[in-house]
Amino acid sequence: MDWWIEPFTLGFEQRALIGGALAGLMSSIVGTWLVLRGMSFFGDAFVHGVVPGIAAAVVLEINPVIGAAVAALVMVLLIEVVNRQTSLTEDTGIGLLFVGMLALGVVIISRLSTFSGSLTTILFGDALGVTTNDLWAQGILALAIIIVTTALYRPLLALSFNRDKAELLGMRPKATHAALLILIAAAVIGSFQSVGTLLVFGLLVGPPAAAALLARTVPRMMLISAGIALVSVWLGLTLSYHLGTAGSATMALMPIIIFFLVLTIVRLRLVFAKRTAVERAEYV
Amino acid sequence: MSDLHSHHDHSGAAEAVLAEELVLGHNSHIAVHASSFFIPAGKVTTVIGPNGSGKSTLLHAIAGLISPLSGSLRVLDAQPQTRREHISYVLQNTTVPVGTPITVAETVMMGRYPGLGLMRRPSKLDRARVSEAMEKLRITDLAKRHLGELSGGQRQRVYVAQGIAQDHDLLLLDEPLTGLDIGSAQTIDEIIHQEPEGGCTVILTTHDLDEARASDFVVLLAGRVIAAGPPAAVLTNEHLLTAYGLGGLHRSEDAEPTTDHHHHDHSDHDHQHGH
Ligand SMILES: Nc1ncnc2c1ncn2[C@@H]1O[C@H](COP(=O)(O)OP(=O)(O)OP(=O)(O)O)[C@@H](O)[C@H]1O
Ligand SMILES: [Mg+2]
Repeated sequence: MDWWIEPFTLGFEQRALIGGALAGLMSSIVGTWLVLRGMSFFGDAFVHGVVPGIAAAVVLEINPVIGAAVAALVMVLLIEVVNRQTSLTEDTGIGLLFVGMLALGVVIISRLSTFSGSLTTILFGDALGVTTNDLWAQGILALAIIIVTTALYRPLLALSFNRDKAELLGMRPKATHAALLILIAAAVIGSFQSVGTLLVFGLLVGPPAAAALLARTVPRMMLISAGIALVSVWLGLTLSYHLGTAGSATMALMPIIIFFLVLTIVRLRLVFAKRTAVERAEYV
Repeated sequence: MSDLHSHHDHSGAAEAVLAEELVLGHNSHIAVHASSFFIPAGKVTTVIGPNGSGKSTLLHAIAGLISPLSGSLRVLDAQPQTRREHISYVLQNTTVPVGTPITVAETVMMGRYPGLGLMRRPSKLDRARVSEAMEKLRITDLAKRHLGELSGGQRQRVYVAQGIAQDHDLLLLDEPLTGLDIGSAQTIDEIIHQEPEGGCTVILTTHDLDEARASDFVVLLAGRVIAAGPPAAVLTNEHLLTAYGLGGLHRSEDAEPTTDHHHHDHSDHDHQHGH
């Protein structure tokens, strides 16, 4: 038992746990809609798209959160431009920006003398370097995200169901889609400091994907997803403490492992259920 | 033409839909060429025509999902977009994104969203309307099932239930009977023909001539309105040949609208309007 709690007697490990938990909560709840709407690729691009903003902020010595927010805005606007001005699909626009923004980020960072150190921090976060102030900011953002996502439950559900139907029901699909993009941006910005941009994606998609295999309603999916995210963070930090591995990376690995575990269990149960159904049918 | 105007003037709204020189399309592609017609209120109207003839496009325009490229379209005596709360539209084979965890009951409850808005909890009335709709469509026993776990026909019944659970004066149904077994088709058919009893207007599209014959009013489409009026006057061999180009009796261009036919049909249409 001690083995599981021992790491968290240290102050910075406690902060890492709380920071990771908040990141996991907001990412997994927003991520539920991302996964349901088949926008994982968008999430991926988005997460990497904020890198140049953070890098520029580091170079200019301003708050990286502001840099990330500006980059997120540029990203959304450019995707819209590619979307509207060409007949290319949204995927192509996203792909172009994904590569472009990531490369730009690395170019900016490569100007710094502490090149590899800064890059690692941006991409993989600094779970153990989170301050109490960071936690307060993260907590407020997480609360806002959870409230807005809950308030937009109906428009988001209608939008995942069918865009035209959402429009007909007065659920304003365009505004809802825009709101979802903002929510994703907020979750990424609120999470990257503790788990890093590269690994926010793991929390954004991993827990909801695993939850999708288990849940029969969207609210249930959000709850399971949040649960998986919390377990991932705690398990990841504990393992990294005992095994001496990188905190953020170990945390981000967990939801993916959980996903494949859940998948295996669900599949096995299905095979078993089929066999009993066939046997029962043969009896009759 | 003058006949149409006089109708329009006593705005007790004898017509649910009134179109004048209406042109519809997607982006620059024209799906329905200039057509003038009306659809009566409080009746069952079927819209019939070959694949790609513009049936869904017309319903989209009536529901206010797309705007006319030119001409005018009035629905319940106003711009379609301003009539949203009065219109319920059951879309053609809505595909559900696989894996969306949504139950049948929740899908039908969506029909109540316009009144519920973002936050209001469903009232007794909302719940009653949902269970009534599910009973009518015989899907009560499917309430807890996943939308993705249903057969195509069962899902179609769920979408119709969603449509009638929504408050409406005008019910639009895009091919509600396509792909249904006899029992399900009969269930939906009964509901369609009960709707006018409460003063409701029904417009549905179909590929079934018998269904069209059983309705009060028919709009025949083939890239434009070929004819509109009572079934007996619209579903004539001549009109059907024009619309479907069947039998190889006519040259293939006949499937395409020509100015010649256009004029002919106008007089035809105005004549029926006088009834
Ligand atoms: N979203 C769209 N974008 C571009 N063109 C479209 C779109 N939807 C339909 N069309 C075109 O508009 C025309 C009319 O299509 P519509 O869907 O209204 O036909 P329909 O009569 O409903 O056919 P069906 O019997 O197959 O349902 C067709 O030529 C079609 O290719
Ligand atoms: Mg159609």
